[in-house]
This record gives sequence, structure tokens and C-alpha cells, in this order.
Amino acid sequence: MIDTLSGALGLGAHEASFWIPLVLAILLFLTTAAAVVLDGFDIGVGCLLPFASPSLRLHMVSLLSPWRDANEFWLFLGLGLLLSAFPHAWGAIMGALYMPLSLLGAGVLLRSASFELRLRSPLEWQPAWVAAFAVGSWLTAASHGFILARVVTAYAHGVPYTALAVFFSVCALAAYSLLGATWLIMRQAGELRARAVMWARRTVRWVAAGGVAVSLVLGVLNSGVLLKWGNTSGWFPVVALWSVLLACFVFLEMLLQRMVNHSPPITVLPFILTVLILLLLLSGLAYSFFPYLILDDITVWDAVVSTPALRLVLFAAAVVVSVALVFNIWVYWGMFGASRPTQPPPFSGFG
Amino acid sequence: MTHSTLWLAQLQFFSGLGFMLLFVALELGLAWALLFFRIKALTTGLAGWTDAYRFWVRVFALAFLLSFAAGLSALIQFGSLWPGLMAKIGDVAAPMLAAAIALTFVFKAGFLGAMLFGARRLSGRLHTVMVGSVALGSTLSAFFLLAVVSWTHTPSGAWLVNGHYIVIDAWQVLFNPALPWYGALFATTAGMIVAASMMAVVSGQAARNPAGPAYRLVFRTAMLTACVSGVLFLVAAGGTARLAAQYQPAKAAAVAGYWQSSTRPDFAVLAWPDAAAAANRGAWVWRGHGARLLASDDAGQWRGLDQFSGMNPPVALTFWSFRLMIVLAALTAILSAVTWLRLRRNHYDPAVLPPLWRRVITAAGYSSWLLPVCALAYIQLGAFPYAVYGTITLTEVLAPASAPALVFGNVLYALCYVALLIGFFMNLRYISRYGVVPVGRRRRT
Repeated sequence: MIDTLSGALGLGAHEASFWIPLVLAILLFLTTAAAVVLDGFDIGVGCLLPFASPSLRLHMVSLLSPWRDANEFWLFLGLGLLLSAFPHAWGAIMGALYMPLSLLGAGVLLRSASFELRLRSPLEWQPAWVAAFAVGSWLTAASHGFILARVVTAYAHGVPYTALAVFFSVCALAAYSLLGATWLIMRQAGELRARAVMWARRTVRWVAAGGVAVSLVLGVLNSGVLLKWGNTSGWFPVVALWSVLLACFVFLEMLLQRMVNHSPPITVLPFILTVLILLLLLSGLAYSFFPYLILDDITVWDAVVSTPALRLVLFAAAVVVSVALVFNIWVYWGMFGASRPTQPPPFSGFG
Repeated sequence: MTHSTLWLAQLQFFSGLGFMLLFVALELGLAWALLFFRIKALTTGLAGWTDAYRFWVRVFALAFLLSFAAGLSALIQFGSLWPGLMAKIGDVAAPMLAAAIALTFVFKAGFLGAMLFGARRLSGRLHTVMVGSVALGSTLSAFFLLAVVSWTHTPSGAWLVNGHYIVIDAWQVLFNPALPWYGALFATTAGMIVAASMMAVVSGQAARNPAGPAYRLVFRTAMLTACVSGVLFLVAAGGTARLAAQYQPAKAAAVAGYWQSSTRPDFAVLAWPDAAAAANRGAWVWRGHGARLLASDDAGQWRGLDQFSGMNPPVALTFWSFRLMIVLAALTAILSAVTWLRLRRNHYDPAVLPPLWRRVITAAGYSSWLLPVCALAYIQLGAFPYAVYGTITLTEVLAPASAPALVFGNVLYALCYVALLIGFFMNLRYISRYGVVPVGRRRRT
């Protein structure tokens, strides 16, 4: 497959102008996947805040705090990678997305800043910052859905496309809320788990509807993508993906139904299933898009800078990836499973 | 200037950059101040230095995190407002932006956590090294951002070929003519905002609690920094004006208020530039001394604004933002010097200052927050209508957004900025009066 790709471009497989863009594209996909999953549960818990009681809200937000620094970096890294590695696509993508990007920028700003301000405020002002955090999370989730709608319809304009974008925003809100709710199921037993189960049950079908809608829209509106899916020699990944997706949704619904009255022995399972669902949807998108960054218009190789500048960008990306791997393994190591309260530090005597 | 979508986009980008710049300047200045406090605590052993570090590290943490959030939002706005720019300057700007982002990530992920939450576990020296690393990392990241911005004002070392730039000489791209002066302006702005804010907060704290050990030390440091930064700011401003005379003739003419090319160049100290009448109203001029600020063409004639009709920056805005920043910096430096002289015989204890003097210091502290905004207005809005000076205009790279959408974006962001600024100031007032709120963050697993 590598040889067919490089042959189609007229380059050798060992040439830097071939493999560096490929590596950076894979990196972009991995960063997007990490952002959706890891920043996703943060956004999800934020979206669920208006539905919780006031005392529960402060607790939910405090559960997020150990991973806040790591979570908010993923969007930054993804955007930075898109900006520095694929500037020609950056222009074409971002230019058509002014409205959703305003929502995203405002949402991200509000989320990050109000979390920190809440942490350092006296108790009287904390509910106001929690409310701001919730507003920021809603804006961010809605904008993600909007952007997805624009990207899969190749930036078409018109009333039906705007209606589709609104529908996708609702589905994105549901998806992040599902991720947040299943994360909360894993983290904390008691009232929070019971409520989280109810929230998750209400959002699962919206996520399923969104997944089906994305596939339909992508296939129907883009003939190239439909051709790729319907290719008789390449049918296996497509069918496998849809079967596994269906199985995950069914299994998740069954689990959530059984969890209504008693805690499950394996609390991690709903979260893992939701992560798997989102990753599968993203992989499907990436498979459909490759090698285009903008469908039928700009490929990965069209979008990059010249090769000398590209080497510098790859060097910076390599540094970031190594630090990110170490940092994130260290930070996310203890995330799965229930949350345990901190112990006081060991006292080593008065000397 | 009659193109309203261009102006709305410019306004939104300016507000985003300005908001980010305030907190970046504050956190950069505070990082170096905190390093100074730690080193002093280690060398002198006075409890006051450790006390000072423990208070101001809270302010630094909040400023750093807000600057990161603002930077992320500014990056998104850069992409949504000027999408065509990266396609044209990608070869030049991409490596520098990648470096800035990578440095921010590495230093924030690696060293900030150790600095803020690891003071108990690390030895004094190792912790000071962490503080130094954070300061260094912030400076390097800001350096690369400044390099990109100053390159767009003096595009050296790259040629415009087929509508996009290719790099000819990487050193000339990185160390372009504007970088030293813009860097100096930024560094001195950071010094001024930190010093003036420190003076304002500490004078109030000392009046409420005269026995605090840290206030004397911090106040003396802040006064010195304010004086030195003020003087250096004026030098940097002069250098920037000379730079504009050399490379950005329209901006130089706007700053001088020089409308007609043939007239004798007078230095308009105060005036109201009127674009419709192409003249200055009520001008108070210093006759014959305007030549140093102006650009001259090959025949030796001074270039006035009539040579750039349609391609000149907003004259009144450029004119007044330059003078306002000079006046603010000079007044703050004079105030610090006078306070220094007054407090010399009281061992620099701010508690002895009368209430009116403290109010003036507080006002100077608030006004120092205007300083980065004015400097940015002079530099950024003065470069209108160019995205890259002399070659690529903003109109070419503008996003195809409608005016109502731009108004919506502007209002949304403005509401967020106002809410966060109010929150930051309320937080600062609270901790200066009642002490810091303990941050219990680590609840791992």
C-alpha cells in the first residue's frame, strides 16, 4: 500500500517529502483521537453539571482536577500540529468555519480559565465559576458537532446543512455527556454513580443516531468515499467496523439497563465501551478521508510546507511526542477505577 | 477603513491578542521576579523573601493558566479570521510557531507542576532550578512568538515567489530588524506591569499589616524595577519609532501626524489628527524637530500621509496610542522614583506612606494594565492594512465571514474577556486582603 501511494505521487518511499507528511498525518489523527477521548470526558462532565444538584456539582468538578493540565493540552497540540505541518489545509479548513470556531474559542477560554479561577476562589464565588465552566463545556461540545457537520459535508452552505449542523451539535453534546457519565460511573460509587447511569441511559441513543447520521452523510454526499467503502476488495474493514460498533452499542445499553439498581462488578466496562465507540467512529472518519484533508480537494501532501521547513516541524513534533508520552503515561496511570481520597504525606519526624 | 468586516475582524484579533498579551507579560515578569525571590531567599535566608515568593506564586499560577487559555483562544481566532495567511507565510512561520508551541508544552508539562506543587518534596536549590526553568521556558516561547510577529512587520530573509514566501536565509528570518526593538518593548512592558501591580498590591497590604516581613523587600524591588523598566521602555519606544521610520513609512507618518509631504516636519506633541480634513486640529507642535521620526524617500524628501492614501493606518489611533504609552511609562517611572526618594529614610517601608499617595500608586498599578494594550495598538493597528508589511494585505487573507457573524463573534469574546478580567481582579483583591486560598489539587486515583 505504501508503494502504491508513493508511486501515485511520483516519489520514492524513502524520500522525506513522502514519509514526513504521512508521519505527521498519523500524528494528527492520534492527537485528535486523544483529544476526543481524554478532553472528551472533561467536556462531558462539564456538560452534565447543570443536571446535578449544587452540592454534587462541586464534587464532580473536583474529580476532574488531577487530569486537567494534561486534558487541556490536546486541543492545543492538535491545532498547533495542523497549523505548523499543514498550513495550506489550515487556511481552507479554518476559513470556512468562522462561526463554529468562535464558539470553540470562547468555550475553551471559558472552560480553562473558570476551572482555575474556581480552584483559587473563596467558597462564595465558586458556584459562579462552576456555572461558567458548564457554559464553556456546552459551547465547546456544540462547536465540535458543528465542525464535524461542516467537515463531512465539504463546507456546503444552505438551510439543510445548517439544520444538519444543529443536529450534529446535539449528538456531540450527547456523545461527550455519555463519555463523561460513564467516566463518573467508573470513578465514584453512591449517588453520583446512580445519577450517572441515568444520564448515560438517556444519551446512548442520541450517540447511536449521530454515528449513523455521520456515516450516511459522509457516504451519500461524497461519491469518492462511497466508492472506497463499496470497493469489493476492501469490504472487510468497513463491515467489521459497523458490526463492532453495533455490538458495542447493544452491549452498552444492556450494561446500563442492568446497572440501574446495583453496581456492576466491572465498573470500567461502560467507559471502555464508550471510548471504543468514539475511537471506531473517528477511525472510520480517518479511513474515509485518507489521503485527503479536505475531501476531493487537498491531500496531505498538498498541504505541507517545503521540505526543509518540514524537517524542523518534524523535529519539534518528535520532541513534543516524547515528552507527551512520558508525561501522559505518568498522569493517566491511575485514572481507571474508583477514585480514592488522598492520604496525608508521611511524617518524617521533627528533626 | 470603510470596509466594516475588515475592521470587525481586526478589532476581534486585536482584542484577543491584547487579552493574551496582558497575561503573558504578567506571567513572564512574575516568573523572573519569583526566581529573584527564591535566589534571595537562598542567599540571604531572610523569611521575607520566602513569604514574598509564597504569595506571588499564587498570582503567577493564575496568570500563567489564564495566559495559556488566552493563547489557545488567540490561536483559534488567528485561524478563523486570517485563514489565508498561513498558506502564504507557512514556510517562514511554521517552524517558529512549532517551536513556540513545543516549548510551551515541554515547560508547562515538565516544570510547572514541579514548581507549583513540588516545593515540599524538592530541596531549596532544586526548586529554584525548577523556577528558573519555567522562567526560561516562558521567555523562549515568547521569543519565538515575537520573532513571528516582528517578521511580519519587517519581512527579511525571505522572498515572495508565486504568492507565497520561501526562506532564503533562516538567520535573517529569525533575527529580523524589528525583533530587538519589539523584544525590548515587550520585556520592558512586562517589567512595568509586574512592578506597578506589585507596588499597588503591596502598599495596600503593608498599610493593613505593617509588621509583615515581605512588604518592604518586595516594594523596594518593585520600585527599582519600575524606574529601570520605565526608562528602558522609553528608549525602546524611541527605537521602535526609528524602526518604523526606516521600514514602515506610513506608520511613521501617522505617529508624527505629518499629512503633507512637502511641508517642514514639525513634531506634533499633542494634536487631534483629522483624517477627513487631512490635517491636525489644535496642534501643539515643536517646530522643525519632526525629522527623526519620519521616513524620507530617495530624493531626501519627507514622506507624508498623502503618499499612502488608502494604505495608511488609522491615524488618530496610532498617534494617540503612541503618546499614551509614552506618558503612562514616564509617569509611572517618575512616581516610582519619587516614592523611592521619599522612602529612603524609612528603609523602604510602604506602610508609612499617606493614604493619598497609596491611592496614586494603586491608580498607577491599574493604568499599567493599559500599557501593553497601547503598545499593541501602536504596533499592530499601526501596521494596517498589511498582514506582512509591504507585500500581503489583510484583505487578501481575510475569512469570508459576514458582518453579523463577526459582530456575534466580537460580542461573545468581549463578554468572556470582561468576565475573566473582572474575575482575575476580584481574586487578586481577595488574596491581597484575606490571604491566599489553599489549593488542594492532587487527588490522584
